[in-house]
Amino acid sequence: MANARKLDKRRKSIRNIRKITRTMELIATARFKKAMDRAAAATDYTRRITQVVSDLSAAGLEVSHPLLEPRPDPKKATLLVLTANRGLCGGYNGNALRLALNRRNEMVDKQNIATTVDASGKRGITGLKFRKVDVSNGFTQFDDQPKYSEVESIANQYLEQFITGEIDRLDVVYTRFISVAKQETVVETLLPLGQLTDGLAPAATEAKSEQQAIYEFVPSAASILEEVVPTSFKVKLFKCFLDAAVSEQIARMVAMKNATKSASDMIKSLSLTYNRARQSQITGEIMEIIGGVEAMKS
Amino acid sequence: MSKLHVSIVTPETTTFDQEADSLVVTLFDGEAGILANHAPMIGRLAPGELRISAGGQNHHFYVEGGFVQVLDNKVSVITGNSIDATKIDAAAARKVLAETQIAADDKSEIVEMKNKAMAQARAQIRIAEHA
Repeated sequence: MANARKLDKRRKSIRNIRKITRTMELIATARFKKAMDRAAAATDYTRRITQVVSDLSAAGLEVSHPLLEPRPDPKKATLLVLTANRGLCGGYNGNALRLALNRRNEMVDKQNIATTVDASGKRGITGLKFRKVDVSNGFTQFDDQPKYSEVESIANQYLEQFITGEIDRLDVVYTRFISVAKQETVVETLLPLGQLTDGLAPAATEAKSEQQAIYEFVPSAASILEEVVPTSFKVKLFKCFLDAAVSEQIARMVAMKNATKSASDMIKSLSLTYNRARQSQITGEIMEIIGGVEAMKS
Repeated sequence: MSKLHVSIVTPETTTFDQEADSLVVTLFDGEAGILANHAPMIGRLAPGELRISAGGQNHHFYVEGGFVQVLDNKVSVITGNSIDATKIDAAAARKVLAETQIAADDKSEIVEMKNKAMAQARAQIRIAEHA
């Protein structure tokens, strides 16, 4: 039987761990709520942008823009991987990395596209480095509340590269937030944009189609389109970052909840063994005393 | 008199969302006033001031480009960033302006971006001085 004191020590240290994991769970919950609020605000924005786009197309304007046109034979592409800055969030980082690597290998080997990999989040950067993938751009400034201005500056870089022909495609690997219970790691092609309205808020477009107003466009519909298209790309990218942030907090919340539960289970089983060990120690001592007394009597 | 419902939306937050009597926006070629019962309109904004008067009260905002959409007495200002005029950091804007003015690059895209940053910084300073 193990030493009772040793067991007690172990139990104490696990209790401390449980305290930590529980606190982390609470922090993740609080952050998740904040990130969720931001995501909701962004949804409002995308809904309105989508409405402007649908109004533009309703005005009979041919929606065409260099960013929308597919490039038939892509030669160069960028893969952006969104991961967390910190670990302890279950399979969140691992899943994103695995998908990114698969995608990259597919693009390089099968489709013959020269692919550069950008990563956001320390975990992603070190993870890719460990797997001998060169990360050309690493971003670590994004936390649970990504700032639009920061995302915008990255978006502008990609836009410039795309327009000047340095890249033909931009794929983003991130964890999409579907519901609190479900998040999914996905690859999404953001450049070329393809359809303007898809992915943003299809429901809003449908609802709007009933009432059509004849708009006055200042200065012209074409000029507005010129501004709308890059904006909607930026917003899509921003949405990816927001989704990733929300999913990260959920993943951490779940991971920490499980950790707390395992710690509790372990404490329970350790307590049992400890009590048994202590009891047997006491029994042993009593036996010794009785033995001593018996020896004295005789 | 019927009223307008004005909302200023950025990707991060909704800065302003309430009833108003009138507002003045800075379009790409100058200011435009919008009163109730305005015809449906979508306009392109330039970095500049947005003035809203609601019940005798005036609200001033800096708006960083974007669009304005008017429909059924609902005005949506869709912009990348908007700041309350009293909260503008004029010193920071001046710094940006000074930085962007120094080096004129030969690449047209960069020049364009710099011009945009300069216009935004100038508009912020102007509004800050007014407020």
